[in-house]
Amino acid sequence: MMARMKPAMKKPSTWAHYVALLKKDLSQELHTKDMLTSMGLYALLVLVVYGASLAQAGSELDILQMAGGLLWVVILFTSLLGLNRSFSHEKEHGCLEGILLVPMDRSVIFLAKATANLVFLLVVTVVSVPLFFFFFLGQVGAAPSWPLIAVPLLVGCVGIAGVGTMLSTITMNTRGKDVMLAVLFIPLMFPLLWACVSATTAVMCGADAYMETFTTSMALAGGYDVVMILLSWVLYDFVVSA
Amino acid sequence: MANEKTAGEPKVGGRLDAIAPWALAIGALLATIGFVVNFTVAPLVNGATVSEPAVIGGTLVGNKLLLSQKIFYWHMPVAMASFTALVFTAYYSVRFLMTKRYCYDVRAKLATEISLIFVLCTMVTGEMWTRFEWGVWWTWEPRLTTYFILMLMIFGYFILRNAVEDTERRAVYSSVLGILIFIDVPICFMITRLIPSSVHPVIFRTDSGLSPEMLLPLLLSLFGFLLIAFGLYRLRLRTQLMEDSLVRIQDKLED
Amino acid sequence: MDPVLAEIYSTVLDAAPFVIAGYALLFLVLCAYVVFIMTKLKRTEKKLAALEEHIDELK
Repeated sequence: MMARMKPAMKKPSTWAHYVALLKKDLSQELHTKDMLTSMGLYALLVLVVYGASLAQAGSELDILQMAGGLLWVVILFTSLLGLNRSFSHEKEHGCLEGILLVPMDRSVIFLAKATANLVFLLVVTVVSVPLFFFFFLGQVGAAPSWPLIAVPLLVGCVGIAGVGTMLSTITMNTRGKDVMLAVLFIPLMFPLLWACVSATTAVMCGADAYMETFTTSMALAGGYDVVMILLSWVLYDFVVSA
Repeated sequence: MANEKTAGEPKVGGRLDAIAPWALAIGALLATIGFVVNFTVAPLVNGATVSEPAVIGGTLVGNKLLLSQKIFYWHMPVAMASFTALVFTAYYSVRFLMTKRYCYDVRAKLATEISLIFVLCTMVTGEMWTRFEWGVWWTWEPRLTTYFILMLMIFGYFILRNAVEDTERRAVYSSVLGILIFIDVPICFMITRLIPSSVHPVIFRTDSGLSPEMLLPLLLSLFGFLLIAFGLYRLRLRTQLMEDSLVRIQDKLED
Repeated sequence: MDPVLAEIYSTVLDAAPFVIAGYALLFLVLCAYVVFIMTKLKRTEKKLAALEEHIDELK
């Protein structure tokens, strides 16, 4: 009897937990389209603001030199908006308590939530980068090496999603959580942002020896990603249980 | 009960606290000697070349002599003290997460506070140098930027502590943030090696380019400020613990 | 003064206020922190005295 019961009682694997949590977030998003619409609209609005703020800059402005930085501002602020809301659903419906009751490795929650955030962020990035090119680089055009910006975009988004998930878990229980997230998130993201902007600008301008700058910056960004995400992954258990 | 609770926790008022005032005094003395040696023994560094060399005190001088570099002899020691304090923040944060004992949380918080003080010291001395040598108050130079970011993170640490009501949550969150902040210390320390800049020379290597007369005041000040940081930390810690136990006694009386 | 010597020392006088300000500000920050600790200590002592009085009243 006991032997026959055993297969049915088998504990689901960590991978199964991960997939289930990720599916929960993604299917919820597919139903409400809450996050994607708000993040997408916000990105578009930032671009509109750029239109106003660069309108007086005249034709002498070297937009290509600034393009990498401007692009990352869109991504950073959009991600901040998304991260602020990433746990709002769990908090409102007491869903996190339910998840915490499940006997499993808590860091799986981190990985699932970070992956969900990464997916949303990548979708918004994929939409907003062509829009950025359309609005601001129509006349100038980027250097032929521009498709390489996919690498810093991916590495940057991974880092933003990883560290951001950790920090939004911390800030969801604090007073003035929106500001709090920005206060912690932007300084911690700074090295990554710096490296990603440098790599993006290098490939978009395609100046001499751009490949060297690109690889150095990406090595820095990659190293930062690995260290930060490993650390967040290890420390997440403490944060979410507190 | 009380004994059980505090068993294994680091004690206050023991040998460490007995030497703390001495550390403060010797530290102040060493820093002062470093200061004096800096202005008397250590030579002025060379700047731009002049049109024709002149003989001063028996040696041929062909460059402008710079006084502004003298700021460096206290600038770098206080920066090292701030890094050291952050190392202790990370250590105590890890200890807190391992043991969940609040004594470590208090220590992590106070180490960060000491670090903040020395970060401010580093910033003001650095600012003065920047203002004179470059003629600007601020520039986005790599070392300056990473250090500024470090300062913002420490501000964030205290803002976070103030924004969390629950004691246990506050301790856990700030410990985690303390460990994350620590990541910026090696970045800040290594950045001059990764992205060479003419402003911040690499000091800790075998051929740092500092003559013994210049290294002596630097090392004196370095040890001096590390001792001062330690002394201030112990003083602050005792004050804080006294305040905490007072609050506890008051709470007990009210029950 | 010899013009060459004047050129060699040309930046020294200009730099002096900044060097002095640097050291003075550093010293001030440290002093401010010591004052901060001392005020905390004094406040705690005051509270301690008040507590002692309170206990005496209870007896």
